[in-house]
Amino acid sequence: MSLLGIEDRQWISLATVVFVVAAALRAYTALKLHRKAKRPSTLMLVSFGWILQTIGLYARGLEYGGCPLSNRFELVQFMVWSAIALYIFVGPAFRVSFLGMFTSTFASVFSILSLTVRSWDSPSRIPIFGDSPWIETHAALALFSYGVFGVLALTSVMYLLQTRSLKQKKMGGLFPYMPSIFELTQINFRLLAIGFFILSASLAIGAVYWFRETESVDLPKLGTTIVVWFAYGILILLRSRQTLSYKQYSWTCIAVFATALLSLEAVDQPKAKESPLLDSTPPARSP
Amino acid sequence: MSTHHGELLLITINHETVSLEKRERYSLDDVQIKMLYETLHRSPMLEESLILNTCNRFELYSKTSDPKNGGAIAFKTLASFYNVQREEIESHARIRFGREVIKHLIEVSAGLRSQITGEAEIFGQVKKAYATCQRLGYSGRLINRMVQKGFQAAKLIRHSTQIGEGQINISNVAVDLSLKIFGSLKNTSALVVGTGEIGEKTVKALKSRGASNFGVASHHSGRADEIAEKWGGIPHALGELETYLNDYDIIISSSETDSSLLDARSLGKHMNARKNRPLFLIDLGLPRNMDASCQEIENVYLYNLDDLAKIATDNLSERRAAIKQSEKIAAQKSASIWQMLESRGLVNFQ
Repeated sequence: MSLLGIEDRQWISLATVVFVVAAALRAYTALKLHRKAKRPSTLMLVSFGWILQTIGLYARGLEYGGCPLSNRFELVQFMVWSAIALYIFVGPAFRVSFLGMFTSTFASVFSILSLTVRSWDSPSRIPIFGDSPWIETHAALALFSYGVFGVLALTSVMYLLQTRSLKQKKMGGLFPYMPSIFELTQINFRLLAIGFFILSASLAIGAVYWFRETESVDLPKLGTTIVVWFAYGILILLRSRQTLSYKQYSWTCIAVFATALLSLEAVDQPKAKESPLLDSTPPARSP
Repeated sequence: MSTHHGELLLITINHETVSLEKRERYSLDDVQIKMLYETLHRSPMLEESLILNTCNRFELYSKTSDPKNGGAIAFKTLASFYNVQREEIESHARIRFGREVIKHLIEVSAGLRSQITGEAEIFGQVKKAYATCQRLGYSGRLINRMVQKGFQAAKLIRHSTQIGEGQINISNVAVDLSLKIFGSLKNTSALVVGTGEIGEKTVKALKSRGASNFGVASHHSGRADEIAEKWGGIPHALGELETYLNDYDIIISSSETDSSLLDARSLGKHMNARKNRPLFLIDLGLPRNMDASCQEIENVYLYNLDDLAKIATDNLSERRAAIKQSEKIAAQKSASIWQMLESRGLVNFQ
């Protein structure tokens, strides 16, 4: 669907260009000019990209009459949107320097990927929520938690890079511009707690519907969802008890996020049997 | 430089022009600065002036109504004030005129002319000197415009080049690394092993960045008590290091020892109890106090004297590379400030 004469995918493409520019500028400023870019300039640029992306997703949502989460392209875009939203609205409170560059790089990579693989934007299964706003909330929260876990994976990468620089005594590159390892460990735990809480809330809502209509969710989707939730649950337990070293914890955060991304494959599979809860007449997609 | 621009002049006595012993005599306190201003302005030829007086430099920036003899008048007044021969003070000083004065002011304010190139403290000192000059009423339109524009240029240099990046002395490098590990030093505890000069400097540097919990360990308990009292902290016997090791986040060691105080095996026993709390080992001892194997342990960061010196040297060479770039900016900016002063009729008014 188009808004202000621009198609939804075009809005999203424009947003992607802005994310790429934000990441490139920040990296160039640090690595070539050896200067710290001002946080507000990165924040403003990323926020501009996020607004463009929001317009694109809104245009797509208007087509469905709900959240645009009907195919893999939209799932990835919503996850990216969530990660950027977290950076814009919660990031300043975290005061993690250089998070903007990492987040915009993350957004650029996933957004370019989802735009490039045309088959991810298949319009075959719309809408997926029928007339239930709760299922829509369940899906939106789950994807938002993936955005949080995405940022967690980024701060984990930052931690690993910083400890590597400190251990190998290499003070160049991004080292001077990134936060201390203590700050990164604190932020990592907070992100894990926030993400896990949101995912749990999402699954609690989904469970209510699943108990009423167990066949509404296929086994692979159910299985992978539970695996991801358990993985993060165990991680939060191990982190609280300091059973894992921070290095192990960071690697695990990255690995679990990669698994969570793969689980989108299962989430995106068409249901074997349409649930009566999701019964509704699909609106026609604009060309 | 042509005397044509003699209406703006600078007399500078600094670490580049004369040795410390001779420089010392030009140092002034606040009362003496006020007296010098009064002395200088008894001469109607000196219309405006700014005195910059730091531990490393004495500088007089002046606007004179007699471009041909302004320098001679200023030297004569200074020689009389310091009670030295005019030839002597002339041999200790350099004199600059016109746009060179502006360039010099920019370079001084940006830290390019400091003994430790790129240090930031000088900018505050120049600002303070200017505030005093304004308060006493010895600055006018020329000095005001020159200094304000000069400050902007100095800020540009500091923000757009690497002139002030990275620490260039070992103590500050160690503190910077501590901040990269712990973020803030307010809640960290540091143990000082040995009582060498470099250890003391590091403690001072840590304190200046907010660290307040210190312990002092020595082979001799009397010495530990003495130093703990002097530096502030808890005294410990070095022989019992393993009993209090986990109370500390940073260990600064500069002890004279034949064998390593810590190695991977002895440290490894403590790491579980530390529950992922990082340990920063700063080994300033020669021979080394910490076995290199400590570095293999996760959450332990070991830096010896060579490591810290290498970082300081790298930072210094980066600063040196930035000097050329900074000087170019200073030259460009001084030219444009001079043009602005000319266009406003503040210079070249003969």
